[in-house]
Parts: sequence; C-alpha cells; structure tokens
Amino acid sequence: MHIPDGFLNNKAALGLLAGALGMMGYCLGRVFKAVGVLIGNLAGNNGQKIAGIMGFSKNADKYFQKLAMISVWVFAAQMFNIPIASSTSAHLIGGVFAAVLAGPFAGFVIISSVLAIQAVFFADGGLLALGANILNMAFIGSFLSYFVYKALSAKNYYAAVIAACFFSVLAAALACLIEISISGAVSFSAAFKDMMSLHLLFAVLESALTLLLLKVFKNLGGANE
Amino acid sequence: MNKKIFLWILPIAVILLASLFASSYPDALEAISEKYGFAENAYTIKAFFSEYSFPLIDNAFLTAFAAGIAGIILLYLLYKSLFVIVKKMNK
Repeated sequence: MHIPDGFLNNKAALGLLAGALGMMGYCLGRVFKAVGVLIGNLAGNNGQKIAGIMGFSKNADKYFQKLAMISVWVFAAQMFNIPIASSTSAHLIGGVFAAVLAGPFAGFVIISSVLAIQAVFFADGGLLALGANILNMAFIGSFLSYFVYKALSAKNYYAAVIAACFFSVLAAALACLIEISISGAVSFSAAFKDMMSLHLLFAVLESALTLLLLKVFKNLGGANE
Repeated sequence: MNKKIFLWILPIAVILLASLFASSYPDALEAISEKYGFAENAYTIKAFFSEYSFPLIDNAFLTAFAAGIAGIILLYLLYKSLFVIVKKMNK
C-alpha cells in the first residue's frame, strides 16, 4: 500500500502533499486543543473552566505518551508482513486501531507520523508520494474510517470495528488505484479487479488484527489516559 | 510488575518476530506494478535505515531488529519533542 516515488506524476504528488500538510495542521491544532481543554477542566477549580489559559500539565504529558505508544504499536505491526495468497504479503494499516483509541484527529496525526518516519528514515513509501500515502492511510484509513466506526459503535462494537476496517482498507486501496491511474502508470479498469480482490483478503486480516490489538491494548491499560 | 510495561514490551516483541519471520513476498501494490509492467518506474532515495536494515550490521535478523528499535525510538522522540515545543510555546 505504501506508494513509492515514481508511480505518481509530480502534479498529483505535490498537490496531495499540499493537501496532506493542510490537513496535518488542522488535526494537530485539534489535538493541542483537546489537551488544552483537558487542563481547563482540572480538579481544584470547582468545575470551572479556566477560560483563555492554555497550559499543559501532567495529563497532557500522559496524553502525548499515549499517542506515542499507539504510533509505536502501529509501526511495529506494519513491520510484520504476513504472506497472503502464497504470492503477496500484507501488513496492518492500523488506521482504525489508532482512531478507535485516540479519535479521528489524533488518529490522522498518529498514522501520518508513522508514514513520515517510514518515508524519511526507512525509504518505505516515497518522499514525494508521502502526501498520497497520508491521504490513503491516514485520512481515509484512519480519519474517515472513524466515522464508520462511530456510526455503528452504539449498536455493536465488533460490527463497528469490522465495518470500519473493511471501509479503511478497501477505500484506501481504491484511492491508491485512482491516484496511480490518474498519473498514467496503469489503466484503472485493467487493474481494478486485482487490486480490490487482494485488498478484500487484506480487509479480513485488518479486522481480525485490529480487534485483537484493541483488546490487548485496552487490557494493558493503555487506553485510560 | 506494572502491566503497563507490556505496552512497550509487546511492540518490541512484534518487531523481534517480524525480523525473524516477516514475509518477503511483494505487497499488493508491488505485485500489481510487476504484473502491469510499471514496477521499474519506482525509485528510492537512499535513507538511513533503507529496507529496514541498520547500517554496519550484516546479520539479517539483527539488522532488521535494530532498525525496528530505531523506529520506535524515533517515534518516541518525535512525540516527546512535539510535547516539549508546545509546552514552551504556551509559557
């Protein structure tokens, strides 16, 4: 799923990079705001909010630690390539895992941070293609998938996670195919069946691993910050 | 023992297992790029831990494991510095 440099034309790659940067600014802002609100509601103020004071205290430290922890889990899981259909391999995207634990904005930040570290230090996914990879896996795979989860989570937690995982993997694969076909690397209609049938298998894997990792992460007390 | 320590031990264990057993088959996008003949368009700029290997370590398992640990440290430092910067800005 990580698009390398060379599959996208420069126009598409740079346009998507600009969009990803804008979205990153917005989501980081929301993450900081959430931490600010946390502090505004701290005990000792008789429940009053400290309007206008944006300080960061101990729970902010823990909140950032939780984000770091989730991103480390996603990074480790993405390193584990599992053989599928005896000729390809797949790994977890982790977008739904991150968004369920931290919400859509922090989920976007977490997946983007993992993708950026992979592109810059590991040459996993292109530098120019980082915008496209962020759109596919962080925006679609985490941010948008959160709302699929949210829409169903009140009725059935398992169904919500599975539906979000299927949306996450399939919509991200579709976006990836659209990006490389617009860039002229491959014909959309020719590669559609191969791309989507493989990712249908990956979506099953993503659902099972996400449910497992969420259970383990919560049991270890990682979700309580 | 505080069970929260496992929140750090578990990803390290996953990286350990990944270094030993990770599949080297191409991923879906690579497989499709080979099938439809645009795989050769891809180019990579050399990075510090390219191909998940740690510079100067030759052993296949150790080099992948060390690179994975480096990834964990980099992510931790990224969030730590993000926190420190924002904290300073708000003072």
